Amino acid sequence: MAKTFHLDIIATDRVFFQGECEHLVVTAIDGKLGILPGHQALVTSLPTGELKYLVDGKWYYAAISEGFMEVMPDFAVILADTCELPGEIDIKRAEEAKRRAEEKLRQKQSIMEYYHTEAALNRAINRLKISQKKFN
Amino acid sequence: MPNIREIRERIDSIQQILKITNAMYLISSSKLKKARKNLDATTPYFDRLQETLSDILVHTPETRQKYFDKRSDIPEDKRKKGYVIITADKGLCGSYNHNVLKHSEAELSKAFVNNCYLFVLGQVGRMYFQRRNNAADHSSIDGEFLYTTQNPTLYRARDIAELILEKFVSRELDEVYLIYTDMDSSGDFVPKTVQLLPFRRIHFGLDKDGQMKKLPKAEFVPSSKEVMDYLIPNYVKGVIYGAMVEAFCCEQQARMTAMDAATTSARKMIKELSLLYNRARQAAITQEITEVVSGAKSIEE
Repeated sequence: MAKTFHLDIIATDRVFFQGECEHLVVTAIDGKLGILPGHQALVTSLPTGELKYLVDGKWYYAAISEGFMEVMPDFAVILADTCELPGEIDIKRAEEAKRRAEEKLRQKQSIMEYYHTEAALNRAINRLKISQKKFN
Repeated sequence: MPNIREIRERIDSIQQILKITNAMYLISSSKLKKARKNLDATTPYFDRLQETLSDILVHTPETRQKYFDKRSDIPEDKRKKGYVIITADKGLCGSYNHNVLKHSEAELSKAFVNNCYLFVLGQVGRMYFQRRNNAADHSSIDGEFLYTTQNPTLYRARDIAELILEKFVSRELDEVYLIYTDMDSSGDFVPKTVQLLPFRRIHFGLDKDGQMKKLPKAEFVPSSKEVMDYLIPNYVKGVIYGAMVEAFCCEQQARMTAMDAATTSARKMIKELSLLYNRARQAAITQEITEVVSGAKSIEE
């Protein structure tokens, strides 16, 4: 049994994961970040992106949208708006959202609206990307 | 002696209203079930958010970050205060709206009213403050701020948070408070005020026994400023969302209780009235019999 640390992933609508984890890889604002047990204390923000964690020698992938992470040597907490396993992603809905966002981006909008649409597009693309991930 | 027909009509009209209150009771109880599920799902996030943030703030060095800016150079009577107030979209929910509005009034009277900017969620509160604004002293109310309180979504919370943060950064507001109804552990509803901005570290960083927590210093990646730029909006959004969910749940609970009480008292009224009705009917019959009997007697004689 490999060394583990306690990982909590909590989304606004549910507790996504709580348990021991061997290795965690997240996309932080400045790139990918790997967390192993005994990591230095660290705080960072997570944009919309992907997340994977190793439990009992098996990698789990998840799509995550905006949140932040606190890492302490013996535990880590991720708080995010939404977090979904690839199997839970509604592909039709994500495709629809992507199409809608692209449509909107072609039109003239205020800067605020532009950011909103861009963020929506990012979320949709991220969901689609993760839903297509192959599992071992 | 009350008129029999009048009583009959009264009973009928009460019965009509009873049907309505009973239907509203059923609707709000099913909505409450949904709202409560939502609340239960959000509570871990909400609690953890505050906990984690207090953790983080403990090992944050003093920052000159824009959301921490207290703007103490502005005198108290010039400070522009924003209030986000969560009320219901409809009435008929007991004292729910009344309590929030009364609490908000009390908060506003503490501040200099002309420098208050209101962002009201929910039709009832909006109408109330708009009407009040016709009076002499008034606080500005944002007419464009139109959000419903039904079925809170993260999307709505994000919109609200963005608006508030933007106004704060552009110095249109110097302080922002959130007023909503909170359910305490005994199930009572208490209106509550939370300061959103500027971000105060006094709220956090203390353990339950009032001691400062001792934790190792954490590193911010890439930098504390950049992380805070992401983290504070995220936190504000989370708090607003949590408050919306909590308030919606309270609203449904309040409506359910109010409608239940209304139904019960309508039933009681019907019972009393039917007693009165029967008595009046009996009196009429007795009178008729007396008349017939005395008529017959007079013929006999």
